[in-house]
Amino acid sequence: MNQKKLAGRDLINIGVYTAIYFVIVMAVAMFGFIPIFIPLLTVVVPLVGGIPYMLFVSKIKKFGMLTIMGTIIGLLMFVTGMGYWIILLGIVSGLLADLVLKSGNYESSKRSVLSSAVFSIWVFGNMMPFFLNRESYFAMLLDGYGNEYVETLKGYMPMRIWPVLLIACVLFGFLGGLLGKKICRKHFERAGIV
Amino acid sequence: MRLDPRTKLFLLLMVSIFIIGGAGGQRAGLFRVLLAVLSFGLLLSTHSYQKVTAYIVVYIACIMLEIFMLPQLRGLPNFILIFMIGTVTRFMMAILLGQYIIATTTVSEFVASMQRMHVTEKLIIPLSVVFRFFPTIGEEVGSINAAMRMRGIRAGSGNLGKMIEYRMIPMMVCSVKIGEELSVASLTRGLGGEAQRTNICRIGFGLPDSIIILFCICGMAVLLL
Repeated sequence: MNQKKLAGRDLINIGVYTAIYFVIVMAVAMFGFIPIFIPLLTVVVPLVGGIPYMLFVSKIKKFGMLTIMGTIIGLLMFVTGMGYWIILLGIVSGLLADLVLKSGNYESSKRSVLSSAVFSIWVFGNMMPFFLNRESYFAMLLDGYGNEYVETLKGYMPMRIWPVLLIACVLFGFLGGLLGKKICRKHFERAGIV
Repeated sequence: MRLDPRTKLFLLLMVSIFIIGGAGGQRAGLFRVLLAVLSFGLLLSTHSYQKVTAYIVVYIACIMLEIFMLPQLRGLPNFILIFMIGTVTRFMMAILLGQYIIATTTVSEFVASMQRMHVTEKLIIPLSVVFRFFPTIGEEVGSINAAMRMRGIRAGSGNLGKMIEYRMIPMMVCSVKIGEELSVASLTRGLGGEAQRTNICRIGFGLPDSIIILFCICGMAVLLL
């Protein structure tokens, strides 16, 4: 069989690591339960998510695994009500991360950290309804949550904040990658799973 | 009553669009209520009365807070309370329906229904592993929490770094080990081989499926008209 093609074992691995990654991200995202922390999710999620991500990356030797992971995360996020943009962004950021990793021949640890930064762009997909469908999104919130709420939220999420959030995702994805690399070295190599 | 996995997924999509996403605004109000009642009914049909009671208690508590507490508050606390009530009442429905789906659908049935929808193997296998893995991770987290409590490492006391080292890392190590066993077990059962795998599950649409799908289409019609 072709060495470069994804085999059954790879596909199962994708599932296992995606499940771990998703559970950790959801646990961290509970901060978003308090609305003031919503913009902060672009900091915390890539940072903590970097740990399971780097563990996953250390196992990857083939192209396409991160694309599939991004697609699945996008689908799961869509089902939990984060809007349809996240599916697109999940696929794109997964594909880009795959390309970055491929450029380092799946061995370069610098490229792994860089791919963590690129992959973290998906987190921004959660925020996209705030900016892309702004009018209809707030009109819809008005029905359910009331006027005062919408005005306050508009104050927290002004239009001009989106580049900041996007850059935060990438930057903290990078830092998350560094953190993940350090923790991989400290714990997982000793436990014999890397 | 048995539903086709595809019907369940369609229903979950409806909940995600109408209840969490709030599509349709006021016009879809009745449809939203019916959808919520249907979700409760489905979970009730699995005889998990404790869970249903817990959900109803939480729901009533939220409504009570909204009626009695909300008018007392101004400014930021008011904003935070609205958000919390809105989030709990909305996301509860998806979690509830998700529990029903996971409790009543086997992994094989899920795979069979995905194959019928011509989804590629490259997505079916990871997705089914993800669903198979959520309960496993939950169990592991429970055991790790118990062990840490015994050692006197509590959830609230430590900083984030401690939380990561003592809870997240063990969870990841355990899950990866279980995942490796799972992948060996699946390979011995012929996953990832050259041949087309057969599936013993009989899935298909029956009368309950038709009724629910018709109901969902009516809801979509309300949205479009």
